[in-house]
Amino acid sequence: MIGIFLIGSLLISLAYFFSKNHLLNVVLAFAFCLLHGALAIDVYIHRDITQLVYFTPDALAVILVCVNSIICIPVFYHSFVYFSKHPYKPHEMGLFFGAMVLLTASISAAYLSNHMGILWIFVELTTLSASALIYHRRNKLTLEGTWKYIFICSISITLVFIGILFVTLAIQHKGITDLFYTTLSENATLLSPFWLKLSFLFIFTGFTAKAGLVPMYTAGIDAKDKAPYPAGAILASVLMNVGFVGIFRFYEITSHTEIFAWTNNILLISAILSVFVAAVYMLRVKNIKRMMAYSGVEHMGIIMLGIAAGGIGYYAAILHLILHSFAKPALFFQFGQIYRTYGSKSVYDVGHYFKYNITGALVLLFAFFIVTAMPPSGMFVSEFLVFKSLFASGYLWVLILTMILLTVIIWAFGKNVFKMLFIKPVDFDESNVTRIPFSESLSQYILLALVVYLGLNPPEQLVSLIHSAISTLPK
Amino acid sequence: MRMISLLLILITSFFFTGIIIRTKSILSGRKGPGIMQPMKDIIRSLRIGSVYSKTTSFIFQLAPTVYIATILMAILFIPFGNQRGVLSFNGDFVFFAYTLALGKFFMIIASLDTGSSFEGMGASREALYSMLVEPAFFIIMGSFSLLTGFTSFVDIFSAMHFGSYVTYGLGALAAFVFAIIALIENSRMPVDDPKTHLELTMIHEVMILDNSGYDLGLILYGTNLKFAMYGALIANFFHTPGYEWYYSIPIFFGVQLAFAVTVGVVESFSARFRMNHNPQFILMFTSISLLIFLGVLLLTGKII
Amino acid sequence: MINILLIVFTISLIYLAMANRMLTYIRIIAFQGALLFGVAFIELIEISLPNLVFVLLETIIIKAVAIPLFIKYIIDRNHITREAEPYVSNFFSVVIVTVIILGSFFLANAITGTHVRKIFFIVALSSLFTGLYIIITRRKILTHVMGFLIIENGVFVLSLAVGSEMPMLVNIGILLDIFVSVILLGIFADKIGDVFEEQDVEQLRNLKD
Repeated sequence: MIGIFLIGSLLISLAYFFSKNHLLNVVLAFAFCLLHGALAIDVYIHRDITQLVYFTPDALAVILVCVNSIICIPVFYHSFVYFSKHPYKPHEMGLFFGAMVLLTASISAAYLSNHMGILWIFVELTTLSASALIYHRRNKLTLEGTWKYIFICSISITLVFIGILFVTLAIQHKGITDLFYTTLSENATLLSPFWLKLSFLFIFTGFTAKAGLVPMYTAGIDAKDKAPYPAGAILASVLMNVGFVGIFRFYEITSHTEIFAWTNNILLISAILSVFVAAVYMLRVKNIKRMMAYSGVEHMGIIMLGIAAGGIGYYAAILHLILHSFAKPALFFQFGQIYRTYGSKSVYDVGHYFKYNITGALVLLFAFFIVTAMPPSGMFVSEFLVFKSLFASGYLWVLILTMILLTVIIWAFGKNVFKMLFIKPVDFDESNVTRIPFSESLSQYILLALVVYLGLNPPEQLVSLIHSAISTLPK
Repeated sequence: MRMISLLLILITSFFFTGIIIRTKSILSGRKGPGIMQPMKDIIRSLRIGSVYSKTTSFIFQLAPTVYIATILMAILFIPFGNQRGVLSFNGDFVFFAYTLALGKFFMIIASLDTGSSFEGMGASREALYSMLVEPAFFIIMGSFSLLTGFTSFVDIFSAMHFGSYVTYGLGALAAFVFAIIALIENSRMPVDDPKTHLELTMIHEVMILDNSGYDLGLILYGTNLKFAMYGALIANFFHTPGYEWYYSIPIFFGVQLAFAVTVGVVESFSARFRMNHNPQFILMFTSISLLIFLGVLLLTGKII
Repeated sequence: MINILLIVFTISLIYLAMANRMLTYIRIIAFQGALLFGVAFIELIEISLPNLVFVLLETIIIKAVAIPLFIKYIIDRNHITREAEPYVSNFFSVVIVTVIILGSFFLANAITGTHVRKIFFIVALSSLFTGLYIIITRRKILTHVMGFLIIENGVFVLSLAVGSEMPMLVNIGILLDIFVSVILLGIFADKIGDVFEEQDVEQLRNLKD
């Protein structure tokens, strides 16, 4: 099935590049969503069965592929909405959708691959297809964003490659000749700790560009800002999960070795710095999209805190990852409506949103509560569990620091959101405000409801999947 | 037998600058002076008396003599193939470097003695460049003494020729760095242009503005000697171990000739660096000699 | 022989730090490509013929000829000034690159029980960090690309160290090399030349908070 999926997405993507017909585009979008859904069902049924040598749908991959196939439906819907409101040339639309299909497919393939080299190749592909999306609008600023994204991602992908080379040095003369994660994990104790440490540093640094953690988070921020909002939704959710998967799979290998405590410290430092950076920038940022992007940095930091703390933190981190992937697209979709109403990205120009678009304003309000992990939100549960694991593993000062930083973030985020919702905008011409139909906000309500439901009352299957995803880690 | 290198260096020093000037004139299509012309100029200078400014003290009169004496002293240490120099003891390359530094020190204080601001500027530049180039010399000699286990010129050069091909690689690299050191120490292109006549851009020439007659002749001849001395040092990287010593004589003259022609070619085809590019250029050779040191460390396995 | 080639490669890094013209940079990159050709030829002579031919063609044609010529073409086409315009004076660049080389040397010596030859490791690490340093301290966008090419060269040296056992990794590394060079240079330098008048990083300073 994975082979069919890859070939099918390639064909759909090619068809998009040559398509100039709107109806054909819609049909292709349906076909791709169906194909992706079929892949999700297939990997769920045939769990842990290796396909095409290099792809093994383990529990983590199954969860993330399912998330990806759910997200891609509203993404395609909102892409069509985006194109219906913005002028475009036919080939631009084909290029956009083709790149989108390629991006989504390579993200899923990256989740599924169980070989370091293959994962690396697909991550490289995500950079290429994402840059086509970012450059969609073809002006100076998008060019700048794309340039920075490609450049920083190229450097990070090179760092990952160096990390892989170090792994090969670590396994030299140990009787291992391939780079499958399963083989490496089984033989982890044989590997030379020095090279493993070095390769962890390089691979971690490299993947932070995708995951949106300190030190390489900057590329992602500009990219999410400059990409059209449906693409921004992908960049801010499922693409960040690719970076997480890259880090997590290598973390699993190191968890069986003597450097485990050291890797935890690295993760902890990076996580705290990420939350800190997010807090600092949230205070001063006035661009709504960038604000959302920095919120993603904060959440990845919390996820890494959970991984570093261990225990219940593993479960909480994976749950948080899933919930964040649902919540963040909702915010980005809502941003599209805000931009259509006000024609501006700046918090200063936006205000009194309730008056112009009540359903959208409610989405923004709910999404704010959910993203900042206020109690009805499912993220409250996962975040609480992360804090509990931090407390249990003795990182009391880290916990206190994180909580202070989170308070700052909630205050900064809330200040901007409530300004947008309730305070009258300056110099805003009300006469030609477009009314936005309720139907466009429906997908966001569903996504947010999913976050609440999955967090408060996770289905049996999801819990068991998460538990089996973290089963190899030490208790 | 110990005099052989001294004699050969003295012979070379008569022709060295002449060959450089001849190369330059051929390359620029001029007829040019004969090979002996620089030497004739020096001899003419030596014949006439010096004029001393009233503000100068005895140091100014002493310095050129000390300068040439230190260079001659340094030459005594240069070996020729397996033949020792006139003087030779363990650690003599340190003595060699500081003897030369003493001469340079006297030149610098003599130029300060005149009280001329131009000369002070030239002295400051010359001191800076010597300071930057000195580590390169010491690092190279230090790494070769680490490689061979000896600490005097003759032992180092004799022992170096029985190593692996990497030793030859490092030796060639070191010869190259020595050639550049010679250029810098003698204030030639691309660091300094002996032909320039604008005080603001001169280095060595501006330092000796006040010297005249006999003193000037000594200083100019000192340059020739220094060139020949460094050329001899470079030639030592190429001598033939295992043969009689006189086989090395053609190699010696060949290397000197090649060195002089190279200097001429470099001076014909390159412009002088801007003054602020000089320090980094000189520092680069310290870095390269550090690489030689690291290579030696790797070879010998003597790692910290 | 490999050792000598690699030492010359490291010298080219030092020279890069003191170079101040774009043309010198291009020459250094071409020269490094030729050096890597030599290293790859000696090091990988035992691997299968198609692989060897692929690697050698990549180094000599792409690294040593095509990319330098293409950068030259971009410079001419976009009327880029010939100075490299570093933020830091070249004197300190030389010092810092020397410190980088020394640092990689000591790092390599900290390793015990490894089977990789140290000199490959030292050269690769120095090249990697020098490339990063060039990227940080130079003003022009094209110089950033050149810094990236230096990093790529370092990665290539490192992959050669394991290359005779895992030729597949060398090939992946080469694919990365070609891919990124084409993307960065082919599409981008061209586009940036169209959209911006001057290829200065200062022009790419509008995206901020």
